[in-house]
Amino acid sequence: MTARQRDITLCLLFSGLAALLPLVSDVRYTVTQTTFFFIWATVVVQWNLVFGIGGIFSLAQMALFAIGAYTTAMLGYYFGTSMILAMPIGALLAVLFSVALGLACLKLRGPYVALLTLCVAQVLYLTIVNDTDCFTNPPSGCMPLMGGVRGFSRFGDLGFRELLGSGFYVGRYYVGLAILTVAMIVSIIVIRSPMGLAFQALRDNPVYAAARGMDRFKYQLWIFGLSAFFTGLAGSFYAVNTGAVGPVVFSFSHLLFLLSMIIVGGVGTIWGPIVGALLLMFAEEAMRELGDMRDIGMGLILVVCVVLMPRGIVGLFEDLVRWRTARTAQAVPLPRRETV
Amino acid sequence: MDSQINRRNFFKGSALLAGSAGLLVGANGTAYASGEPIPIGQAAPLTDFAAADGVEFRNGLILACEEINALGGVLGRPLEPYFEDTKQMGDATNVQAVQRLIDRYAVHAVINGYNLGSGSAVQDVIADAGIIYMHNDTSRGHGALVESDPQRYFGSFQTDPAEIWYGTGLLKFLKSLEDDRSFSRPNNKMAIILSAGTYASNIANTVRDGAAEFGWDVSLYETVNVPISEWGPTLAKIRQDPPAVIVVTHYFPADLAQFMIQFMNNPTPSLVYMQYGPSVKSFRDIAGEAANGVVFSTVIGALQDEIGLEFERHYKERFGADAGHNSGMQSYNGAWIWATAAALAGGSGEPGNDAQNRKVADRIRSLIFRGVGGTTRFTPAGQDVYSYPGGVDDPSLGMPHQFLQIQDYTREPDLIAPWPYGKAAFKLPPWMNG
Repeated sequence: MTARQRDITLCLLFSGLAALLPLVSDVRYTVTQTTFFFIWATVVVQWNLVFGIGGIFSLAQMALFAIGAYTTAMLGYYFGTSMILAMPIGALLAVLFSVALGLACLKLRGPYVALLTLCVAQVLYLTIVNDTDCFTNPPSGCMPLMGGVRGFSRFGDLGFRELLGSGFYVGRYYVGLAILTVAMIVSIIVIRSPMGLAFQALRDNPVYAAARGMDRFKYQLWIFGLSAFFTGLAGSFYAVNTGAVGPVVFSFSHLLFLLSMIIVGGVGTIWGPIVGALLLMFAEEAMRELGDMRDIGMGLILVVCVVLMPRGIVGLFEDLVRWRTARTAQAVPLPRRETV
Repeated sequence: MDSQINRRNFFKGSALLAGSAGLLVGANGTAYASGEPIPIGQAAPLTDFAAADGVEFRNGLILACEEINALGGVLGRPLEPYFEDTKQMGDATNVQAVQRLIDRYAVHAVINGYNLGSGSAVQDVIADAGIIYMHNDTSRGHGALVESDPQRYFGSFQTDPAEIWYGTGLLKFLKSLEDDRSFSRPNNKMAIILSAGTYASNIANTVRDGAAEFGWDVSLYETVNVPISEWGPTLAKIRQDPPAVIVVTHYFPADLAQFMIQFMNNPTPSLVYMQYGPSVKSFRDIAGEAANGVVFSTVIGALQDEIGLEFERHYKERFGADAGHNSGMQSYNGAWIWATAAALAGGSGEPGNDAQNRKVADRIRSLIFRGVGGTTRFTPAGQDVYSYPGGVDDPSLGMPHQFLQIQDYTREPDLIAPWPYGKAAFKLPPWMNG
């Protein structure tokens, strides 16, 4: 079994196990919170492709997420578009935006990419919150084109209420799980493909890779667009699942929370973002009652992970496996050469 | 919850019993709160920029639960409050917080203060769960939503009037000042300063649209980005063309305090009106002497009468001298209304028990509740509260839109209108006294 086959099998196995959760747990809270885990895990898995694999320090991921969410909400709100149709449109618009952004910023390097992508996200945010002109005037009062500070709600859903009644949240759970599973499989295929190797080469020795004919710009643009699709789709699903979209999706603290998931789990590893998302969401849940102390607690976890596990939890695990393998190899005596 | 009140203490000299708490006592009979607890929830901004209010919303609910439990809870079942943080608020955050309360604690009711940026998303979550929602979002959107589908949104109640009453109420208030010669306008100019957002712009638009009818010309209509501490550019425009009245519909206490501090460096002969923000103590703490003379209003707050003052004393005794009872009274009032209605309806319902909660909602709709902020009576179509004197002219049938003035920043503001609740006369602000 190749590494790619092994990882995809593992992914399907985990998804199958996760699919059992609503059947074995009658605690609605567990199911709805796990649905949020699927959303954030999808975002960080895709961000890891850009940041950890592609080596692009982009901070535009929440803006892409917001584009998916806002597109879906606005299509539903203004045109009554079905959410099943609006969600992929939101994802495709995120791809278009991402490619345009990539054309502008991928000629830059390192912190300049981060600054430019962050600036673009902030411009989007400020455009939305500072728009006070009434685009429509529904009975509830002035509604700016992009919803202003309040944002959008009541723009439609996936129809699970009619289908499943009070168990509608279970339907959403499976949609979230399906999105994460596909996003994860695509991520594995990219990482375990020649494209993944190209990225590794470009990241580890860009001069040598270029000398071998690898076009950094082309590869990075590809990954920028590809990851935007699933990030936008996660944003679209977030809008439908929450039933509301507002400028809070642009919040800097949210961005940092997601970035922390990748760092804690392990930048550039296949399973790191999932492990990081799982751990930090558990930690946040466990510290929910602590108020302001929760933020301090989350900060402490991040500091401890960065100091003690610079390659993240999965990175540490891989190091341990490598160390153990090397030790085992040393311990096994070499076959004695027969002397004639 | 550590109850600090027992039944005997509560009965002893409680002003609230002069109001509508007697209804709950009557429904409970001799029951003591010893049965299975009823979980109730609150989603409030316990951290971030609105935490000063959020903490008081929590305190208000805690106090109400303690008092209600001392009187036997709801038909012998004590109330157990749970809280979720809405941080920077906004629909997307509020919805998740309310959903958690329902999913995690199976709350029978959600009793909030306000959450900024609220549209109608929370009401949908409540409708899906079939429980009761009492909130103070002060939004006309609430009424429009409930009217659009009364069957679905049967359980959502806004326990204060919509924000548009701020606008119409202000224009009428200014006219009353001129009528009794407490204030005479040096010109017809009015400057309106608002922040981005439906709430502030709905108020500002109502003032702007009604101004001409009262003889006002809107000379400045400016939207500021918030939070804001640097008011120089806005004040420069005001100083260049001094208006008779400055209307600020933005509401963050710290921002408004900075406005007054910078305005007082070179004041224009303008009456300064603000809404809500100066009712929070931190406004006076930050602005200090610059707060003196400011007129502000709130469509919900504790009155300065026997019931209101007793509540203030009780609240500060429980949470400290600096506690903001005017914010705390919002959830306090909502909790009392819900508990009374639930007791009268024969109990409350858990999520999914629409049938029982519809009975509770019917009781809420039919109540005329005299609480610490005056009368709460719901409009039948929108399930928000009638405003007095803007919406009804009988003070016993509407919640008073209170106009207050800070005449001495070291003490609580003086209630100057409406009749019969006013306790002090309007005074010309110090910067307008020549």
